[in-house]
Amino acid sequence: MVTENQVWQALKAVNDPEYPLSIVDLGIIYKVEVLHAIVAIEMTFTAMGCPAIDMILLDVDEEVRKISGVKNVDIEIVWSPPWTRDRITPAGREILQYYGVGV
Amino acid sequence: MATDKKNGKAEQELMEKIRNGFMVESEEDMTPDYKKSLITQLTVQADTELMSAPAYYLASKDAPTINSRIAVTAIIHDELGHANIAYRIMEDLGVDKHWLVYGRKPHEFKHPYGFDQPLENWAEMVVANGFFDRAGICLLGDVLENTSYGPLKRSLVKVDREEILHLRHGESWMKRLSKAGGEAKELLQRAVDWMFPMTIEWFGLPDELKHHSGQLDYRLKGQTNDQLRQTWMDATVPLCEKIGIKVPAHYDKEKGDYILDYPFPCQYNPDEKRWLFDEPLTWDQVFKRWKARGPMNKTYAEMVQGDLDSIFGGRLW
Repeated sequence: MVTENQVWQALKAVNDPEYPLSIVDLGIIYKVEVLHAIVAIEMTFTAMGCPAIDMILLDVDEEVRKISGVKNVDIEIVWSPPWTRDRITPAGREILQYYGVGV
Repeated sequence: MATDKKNGKAEQELMEKIRNGFMVESEEDMTPDYKKSLITQLTVQADTELMSAPAYYLASKDAPTINSRIAVTAIIHDELGHANIAYRIMEDLGVDKHWLVYGRKPHEFKHPYGFDQPLENWAEMVVANGFFDRAGICLLGDVLENTSYGPLKRSLVKVDREEILHLRHGESWMKRLSKAGGEAKELLQRAVDWMFPMTIEWFGLPDELKHHSGQLDYRLKGQTNDQLRQTWMDATVPLCEKIGIKVPAHYDKEKGDYILDYPFPCQYNPDEKRWLFDEPLTWDQVFKRWKARGPMNKTYAEMVQGDLDSIFGGRLW
């Protein structure tokens, strides 16, 4: 039985391709649901023209499929509500500030 | 009168200070020779970033998805920004930035021979990100860690992060193309076949032939050419082996080093994009090939400079 918590843990292993913070800390994961062997993820990106969309989607798919029992990963990209910097966690904020990114 | 600048008292004193951890912050802290070495290094750095832009731009037209096209155009944007940072640092040292970009002839730019070559399909584009940008990370990561020039060190923190995105893009697509198999994998292998030795050559003269380096004496960088070549192979060879792509190098457990499986350096045929492993060269011959520049040198320079004498030409502004 796959749990939502397992999926969140897997997503924490996916880093932003530029800065070493997870996409969970970046605040782009909106919802995780598990239905039997299918994982449904609702997520957004920091910009519609984000250059890392393909890379992040591939990484999410790969990490979530590592959970035993997962047969399918269904990712839906949404733009509402829009992502803002307020969604970054305090831990993520600390990492970005270290690299001189204003948050 | 001292004729050899490097043996001058001021030079020796500066080297000693730098060895003890001194950071150079402004022109007053420099000797003429330090400044000259720094400007040479920055010119290579800036020109390399600049000339990657037209090369990547032409290849971006081949992007197989809208997201990957966005990725490459964003990478081009980053590269131009990185070039601008290095030119801007030189401007503070009295070098005319506008002249550097618009005033020089194509063959006067100091980028490596690899960025005189055409990138003709998507496989070559992503191997450029995987190999050339990896070389950039090895070189600039070393500068970031070791440079004695404060303004350069601070500017490289963000550059380094952005280069990692380019690398991730390249490696992620190399994996995808290999997994797809068939013609995609064949084209990936063909790209690696010419681009692997191209990057190896990029790091320059082997240590045994390079007797003196102002860059190392002034701690403008930390690793030698051979060390950087090893750092690059340490990342690149395992990646290729993992995805089933052949490279002309292997790890020697006893020596603890990567060993090239071909005579290095050797001749390159740019028209066929093929290394002639049966034609070893001397380094003087390599320098001659580099100096003659490669097939895309003029095209790329023109793409960057535009029509210099037109109403919107770089000469007038």
